Amino acid sequence: MAADSSRIAIPAFGTKGKLWLGLLASLMVAGLAAWGYQLTTGLVATGMRNVFSWGLYIMMFVLFVGLSAGGLIISSAPKFFHSHRYEGFARLGVLVSLACITVAGLLILPDIGRPERLYQFFTSPDFRSPMVWDFGIVILYGVLNLWYLWLLTRRDLAARGSPLALDVDDTDAGRERDRTLMFWTAALALPTAVALHSVTGWIFATQIGRGDWFSPLVAPVFIAKALVSGLGLLLVVSILADRLTNYEVNREELTSLGKLLGIFLALHVVYLLAAERLPHAWANHFEFWAITESFLIGESVYFWLWTVVGGAVPLVMLMIPSLRKRVSVIFTASLLAVFGTMFEGIRLVFTGYEVANINLPPGISLGGEYAGITTGIWATAGAYTPTLVEVVVTLGIVAFGALIVTLGLKYVPIQRVDGQYATDGGTQERQ
Amino acid sequence: MTNYGLVIDQERCIGCQACAVSCKQENNVPMGQFWNRVLTEGGDKMDTPSGGYPEDGGSGALDMQYQPTACQHCENAPCVKVCPVNATYTRDDGIVEIDYDKCIGCRYCMAACPYNARVFNWDEPEHMPEAGTGDVAARPQGVVEKCTFCSHRVDEGLDPACVVNCPADARIFGDLDDEGSTVSKYINEYETDQLLEDRGTNPKTHYISGEMSPGRPQTSDKMESELDDVSPWSDGAEDVPAEAGESDSSGSGGSHHSIEGDAAPHVPAVGSGGDD
Repeated sequence: MAADSSRIAIPAFGTKGKLWLGLLASLMVAGLAAWGYQLTTGLVATGMRNVFSWGLYIMMFVLFVGLSAGGLIISSAPKFFHSHRYEGFARLGVLVSLACITVAGLLILPDIGRPERLYQFFTSPDFRSPMVWDFGIVILYGVLNLWYLWLLTRRDLAARGSPLALDVDDTDAGRERDRTLMFWTAALALPTAVALHSVTGWIFATQIGRGDWFSPLVAPVFIAKALVSGLGLLLVVSILADRLTNYEVNREELTSLGKLLGIFLALHVVYLLAAERLPHAWANHFEFWAITESFLIGESVYFWLWTVVGGAVPLVMLMIPSLRKRVSVIFTASLLAVFGTMFEGIRLVFTGYEVANINLPPGISLGGEYAGITTGIWATAGAYTPTLVEVVVTLGIVAFGALIVTLGLKYVPIQRVDGQYATDGGTQERQ
Repeated sequence: MTNYGLVIDQERCIGCQACAVSCKQENNVPMGQFWNRVLTEGGDKMDTPSGGYPEDGGSGALDMQYQPTACQHCENAPCVKVCPVNATYTRDDGIVEIDYDKCIGCRYCMAACPYNARVFNWDEPEHMPEAGTGDVAARPQGVVEKCTFCSHRVDEGLDPACVVNCPADARIFGDLDDEGSTVSKYINEYETDQLLEDRGTNPKTHYISGEMSPGRPQTSDKMESELDDVSPWSDGAEDVPAEAGESDSSGSGGSHHSIEGDAAPHVPAVGSGGDD
C-alpha cells in the first residue's frame, strides 16, 4: 500500500501535544491582544522613538528572514544536483522555512504605523525602494515554500486520501512528473533565497545615514548569516522532532549537516567578520597592537554574544570530530548558532541608531517620553529597550510559526520511509 | 525651473529659537516634536560654549555657534528613494514633501535621513492650541512628518515662517536655479557648507560661516520672486525693496520688519563679519 511509504510525524496529539498547542494558542492570543493595544495607543507603546525608530520587530524580522533560508536550501540544493542527500530533511526543511518566512512577514505588521494602508505597496510602489523589492521577494519566497512543500508531499497526501492533496492522484507517472517539477522549483528556489537575503541586507546596506549599515559586505554577510542560522534552526527542530514525534533523524546525515554548519560558522563569524573589521581597524589606528586590538575586540555585549556564544563556542564544538558525533553536541551548537545570530541583527540595528550623525545639544526630539531612553523629550544619542508590549507581540507571532511547524508535522507526511532514500527505516518508531 | 533652497547665515544667527518656535506654531507641530531645531555647537548643553574662561590660567578660548537644523530638502534625498509607497516625494519646485494620506508609517525614511530631520507620530498628536492654525494638513497618529519649507506659504508667494520670523535676518529663502536670487548670490559670494556633505545627499540648505552676509534683504513677508521688479543688488547696496508695509494685512501682521522708511538690512557696512 502506497501510504506505507510516507510517515506522519504526529499521528495524534497526546496530552503533551495538547498542552503545547494550548501554550501556543495562549501566546498568540496574548500577542494579538498586545497588538490591539498597540494599535489603539500607537507605537508609543513600544520602546522606539524618533532617535531610535526601528526596534525589536525589525531585529526579529532580520533574524527570521535568515532562519527561513536553511530548510529550503538544504532540501532544494541536493534536488538541483539530482542527489538524494539529506532527503530525510527535505520536507521538514521546507516546512520550517515556510514557518519562518511567515513569521518574518508578520513581524512587519506591528512595526507599521498605519497597517490599514499596506495596500499602497500594490497601488503606489516606488521601485527605487529596497523595501518594495523586499516586500515582493518575501511574498514570492513564502508562496514558493508553500508550493514546494505541497509539491514534495502531494502524491503521498493523495495516497493517504488527505484533502490537502487537492484532487491530485498518486500515480507513478505523476510522481515522475513531480520529480521534474521539483528540479525546476529547486532551480528557482536557490536564486530566490539568495535574492531574499541580499535584498534584506540591502535595506540596510544602501543607507548612507546610519553608520556601518552602508557597507557592501552587508548582503554577503546576510547570506552567510542565513546559512548559519537557517541550518542551525533546521538541526534544532529536526532533533526535537526526532525526540518528541515519529519523525526520525538519520544520524549520519545529522553529523554531516553538523559539519556543514561548522563550515558556515567559520565562513560567517570568522572570515566575513574579519574581512569587515580589518580595514576599519587598520585605517583608524597606527600602532600594530592598537590595530590588532581594534580588530579583535568588539564594542558591545551584542558583539560578544554573537561572536563567542553564537560563533566561537559552537564552531569549536563542531570542529572536534569526537564531539560532533553526539546529537546533544550538535543540538547545543545549533541552538547557540541561532541564539548568536539573533544578536547580530540586534547589533546591526544598534550600530545604525546608537550614534546620531548630528549630536549637538539639545539633540533630537523624541516624540514621546520613554524612560528607556531619557526622561526629557531630547536625546543626543540612541538607546533602546523593548517594552513588554513588543515582547508579547513578537512571542505571539513566533508562536504562530511554531504552530505552522506543529500542524505540518500533524497533517503533512514529513518523511519517506521506503528504502530508496536514506532515512533509517530500520529503527522502530517511537511514540 | 524653480528650485527652492535656504541659506542660513550662522554668523548672523543669535540662537533665539524664534525659527524653531514659529515653525512649531505655523505647522501645528505636535507636542514633544520639533521640525526645526536650533542646535548649539560648543558645550555639552544647549547655549553653552566649549573652552574655558580666561581666569585661573584658563585658555579663554570660549567658542560657540548655532546650528539651526531642519529638513535639508536634499537633491539626492535618501528619504524619497526609500519610501516604498511614494508618500515622500520631491515636488517640481524641489521641496521634499510627504503625502500624509499615503504614508504607511514604516519609518524607513527616518532610518534613511542622516540629519534626523523626521519625526513620527508615536501616539495621537497633541497640539497647542488644540485646533491648530488650520493652514496645514493634519497629520494623524502613525505617520512621519517634517519640515515642508512651509510649502503652504510658498504656494501663496510667502517666505517660510522661520525665514520671516528670524529677527537676525539669518535665513534667506529663494530660487537656487535663478542666478539673480539672493540665495544663489550668497552661495557664490560667501563660504557656504552643506550639512554632512560627504554623504552625497546634496542638501538645498546652505550654511554661511566665516564672513557675515547682509542677511535677508527684503523686509516683506513675500518671497523675493514676488517683489515687484526689485533686485536688492541691481544698483548697489542702497537699493532695497521699499514695500515693507504692503503685506502686513496678509495675516501674520506685526512683522518685526515694519520700520518706517528704513527697510535696509540691519547690518553694519563692514566687510569683516563678526566672529561670534
